[in-house]
Amino acid sequence: MKLLFPLIQVVSFFLLVAYVYCKSPAYRLRRSEALGAGQKVALFVFFALISMGGTYLGVKVQGAIANARAIGPVLAGLIGGPALGLGVGLLSGLHRYTFGGFTALACGISTTAEGLIGGLVGLYLRRTAAQDQALSPVTAGLTMLAAESVQMIIILAVARPFSDAWALVRVIALPMIIANSCGAALFMSILSDRRDLYDLAGTASTARTLRIAGRTLDLLAKGFSRDVALRLATIIQQETGVGAVAITDRESVLAFTGLGSDHHRPGTPILSESTRRAITQGEVVFLDGIRDPYRCTGQEDCPLGSVLVVPLLVGQDVIGTIKLYEKAHKRFLSINRTLGEGLADLLASQLARAHFQEQKELLVLAELKLAHAQINPHFLFNSLATIQAITREDSVRARSLLSHLADFFRMNLKRNPELSTLQEELSHVNAYLEIEKARFEDQLTVRIEVDPTLLNLKLPTFTLQPLIENAIKHGVAEMLGPGTARIHIYRAGSGVRIDVEDDAGQFKAALAGAGGLGMSIVDRRLRSLLRGSQGLSVHCEPDRLTRVSIVIPEPQGAA
Amino acid sequence: MMRAVVVDNELNARKELETLLAERGDIAVAGACANALQAIRLIRSVRPDILFVDIHMPKVDGFQLVAMIEPELMPAVVFVTAHDEYALKAFEENAIDYLLKPVQAERLARTVEKLQRYAGPARRSFQQNSVIERIPCVCAQGIKFVDTAEVEFIHSSETGVHLVTGPAEYLTELTLTLLEARAPMMVRCHKQILVNLDHIDLFGRLDPATAFLRTRSGKQVPVSRRYLAGLKERLGI
Repeated sequence: MKLLFPLIQVVSFFLLVAYVYCKSPAYRLRRSEALGAGQKVALFVFFALISMGGTYLGVKVQGAIANARAIGPVLAGLIGGPALGLGVGLLSGLHRYTFGGFTALACGISTTAEGLIGGLVGLYLRRTAAQDQALSPVTAGLTMLAAESVQMIIILAVARPFSDAWALVRVIALPMIIANSCGAALFMSILSDRRDLYDLAGTASTARTLRIAGRTLDLLAKGFSRDVALRLATIIQQETGVGAVAITDRESVLAFTGLGSDHHRPGTPILSESTRRAITQGEVVFLDGIRDPYRCTGQEDCPLGSVLVVPLLVGQDVIGTIKLYEKAHKRFLSINRTLGEGLADLLASQLARAHFQEQKELLVLAELKLAHAQINPHFLFNSLATIQAITREDSVRARSLLSHLADFFRMNLKRNPELSTLQEELSHVNAYLEIEKARFEDQLTVRIEVDPTLLNLKLPTFTLQPLIENAIKHGVAEMLGPGTARIHIYRAGSGVRIDVEDDAGQFKAALAGAGGLGMSIVDRRLRSLLRGSQGLSVHCEPDRLTRVSIVIPEPQGAA
Repeated sequence: MMRAVVVDNELNARKELETLLAERGDIAVAGACANALQAIRLIRSVRPDILFVDIHMPKVDGFQLVAMIEPELMPAVVFVTAHDEYALKAFEENAIDYLLKPVQAERLARTVEKLQRYAGPARRSFQQNSVIERIPCVCAQGIKFVDTAEVEFIHSSETGVHLVTGPAEYLTELTLTLLEARAPMMVRCHKQILVNLDHIDLFGRLDPATAFLRTRSGKQVPVSRRYLAGLKERLGI
């Protein structure tokens, strides 16, 4: 039994190695994770070295070596499967064989066999879905016990002369079985403790990401405004605990929260080179504060020292960035870096979804409005009442009005829902105006001035008619005396300007009522269907003039 | 034969109803006009039995027009409109009937039957109870609409009925009696004065029998002995 203590020393040394190993970046053993080829090679090298070290550090006894060689192959087998166990065992066995001695062959064979045993036990436990047991210290200890026993039997069976073998086994069997079993159990225990720690950290960061996702989801459904950005930034800062968080669009800072918020103001344009690079290149920029220090563009004594800038990609377009800052002299945790990049992905997909949702709602709204226009009952009944009266005095005019009415409703039903030419819009307006002129007779004058070269200009369908309808319904029709509505379409600067005016000057009052909906749909359709459109603008001089203007950015397809 | 006035801001719709009524021959069209202000004058001058009135009209809608008719001149009211959603309100305002545009001769016949049954001598029972929210006033530029709530007091003189707001004074064609009836916060404090309860700043007494009021903008309004008790009751003092 005097062999036990030298063996325990050897095993202790291995445990130290195990401890160092699992602290090193090479260690990547995770629960329920299939091993990649690279990981298998790393494990092979590590356990082969452990195993061969076991041979070197062994204690010479009666022409043989009492050793801790078996720990390597058995654990390699348990962790990496039969192939790995067999490989480590074979290599280490060959290595032992070169040392010679009357047990050389027996030890070579038995080391290989032990690796295989470890591998088969591991495989069996995995197959029976006892994943955790394959990597438990108890399994390792028991497997080692069995493997070492098998080794003793092989020595007895293979080594000659038998009497020497028997004498040897009597001396080494008990110490080796005890030392190696305990050693294997402790070795595995160190590895799995470390693994549990990783899993725990992984779980915590997953939980954190999910929590952020949950908290931001509803927020982003409303779109990407400054208010939303601030709440987002606050959530991210709370959850990650970094020094500060900023969210920008392509031009300026939307929100900033945390350290340095006294001079990092929302609304200021983007100054830093790193953010601009993230936006133009669409890549993540990381200034770790050590090799690449972050320098605040605003203020000398800014407390921030490192920054991670992650672009927000919606489709192919960078729509802004998320910036995570950390204090100077504080390490930027790599977990926060990963988290920041993941968050940007998450937010981008949420934004894409919000954008999609908005487009869908817009479409639904526009369709509703369209449906409304198709059956607009008040307009229809008032028109019919007018035509009924006119039939008595002027049947020719009545017939023409009926065909205008039919044209108007037909165009409401049939038109392309997205873009139309100005000419199509004008003929829709014309059909509508013929009816309105008959309803209001001398109370309504309409003037239309259109640059004839613009007739092929494309604009969102149903842009013009709601504007002139608004000018009549909430303008001229609200005047006690006669009124004038005017459509003026002309080139202005690089675009085309459409002014629709009335001389009632009642717009503010109209917005409060039903007029607001139609106008806001026109506005939103302009913004969504024409890139770079500013939507509607309204100029109102009370009791004198209301002018609703739109600018079509670039005359596409104009002659 | 009953006499009617037709009010509609759409010329052809107005002419159609006039024609339909003329074709029947049992109702005479005494006048027609395009808006509520013309209508008030027309009703005062021709004193019709029946008023056919559109609801959607500029500045003063059909309901407000009815509110501005003096009780003793109140004709039987028939609303004529393309909007069916106002029917309930119309009947709450004691309208005789509610016609939808385009008007059909058969439907108009039923309206006339109703009118013959209910209107005529019994029409005084068709008092309605709308509140005048904005008072049309004559001014140099045309018609000015003054929110009733902004009027401090209203007084009548030989020149007409005057609304006094904080900074300005306007002339209206509506009578003191009508305004007293249709503007609930206007209370009679003198034979020729209505005062807006919401604008009273001070109730002052000179002696047990005489009192005066001060409005928020500091104007003094006399209280006559005859209306003192009623005023005090409304003020809760």
